[in-house]
Amino acid sequence: MATDARAQTFWKRGAEEVSLARLYAIRAVALLGVYGLFTTVMTLVDHAPDERGMLKAMISGLWIMCLITIRYPLKMIPILLFELVWKLLWLFFFGIPQWWTGVGSPRLGEDLWSIGAFPLVCVLVIPWGYVWRHYIKEPAERWR
Amino acid sequence: MASTAASASSSPHQDGANEVSLTRLYVMRVMYLVLVIGLGAMIVPEILDHDLTSRGVIPSLLGAVWVLAFLGLRYPLEMLPLLMFEFVWKLIWMVSYGLPQWSSGQQPPTFAEDSFNIAFGAVLLFVIPWGYAKRRFVKRPGARWS
Repeated sequence: MATDARAQTFWKRGAEEVSLARLYAIRAVALLGVYGLFTTVMTLVDHAPDERGMLKAMISGLWIMCLITIRYPLKMIPILLFELVWKLLWLFFFGIPQWWTGVGSPRLGEDLWSIGAFPLVCVLVIPWGYVWRHYIKEPAERWR
Repeated sequence: MASTAASASSSPHQDGANEVSLTRLYVMRVMYLVLVIGLGAMIVPEILDHDLTSRGVIPSLLGAVWVLAFLGLRYPLEMLPLLMFEFVWKLIWMVSYGLPQWSSGQQPPTFAEDSFNIAFGAVLLFVIPWGYAKRRFVKRPGARWS
């Protein structure tokens, strides 16, 4: 139905930065984050008085970022990249070595699934063409 | 090196480049540099050399902040969500953990170190271009839905 090669459809970006399908994919992941991380956010108001809380605070920060991502999926790409990078770091420096040696943290099994599987989702959802154009090829923001 | 206003505004990506002052861009870059050097010195050794049984989630999260801070040096405004994340999680920690623990005296053993590092995040109040952040993440219409 589209005769123009640059015509935009649900699946093709046309002259837009990314396709509508891609925007929805990013939004779906963000929504998954909002849903999945909510139980952690709830513990902010009810926790042991001497708990360290650093991880929960970071997860809650990510939860807020997920909310913003639903509205501005492209502008929040740095958060998706962040998700990908931290999970890859964990996988390479903690998850895989521990799984390999059979000596790990008590939560290794659960973490391997909840953290280790997610980089794949990120890789599939991140619009790499957009990332390439805007975070690598694009000239740096002004220096003078 | 012709980074003139004309070339900066030729790209939709850099719409914001002229919305904040050059000084602000440098302040942001200094912040990213502090993350690259300061956070890096703290977190990279911890990632490379740790107990085999350590869970590693916190070092990995901070390690990713370190990695992305490099991009921030080149694209300070575009990487603003990273600074927003830093600001938000530190504020949450202060409100839900830091301040209550400080006032009650019931603190985890890591409290002194954590509270010092996290309180440093207060400088973000002066680093983040709030007007720009509001225009970009609140007032502008969201990405298209149809």
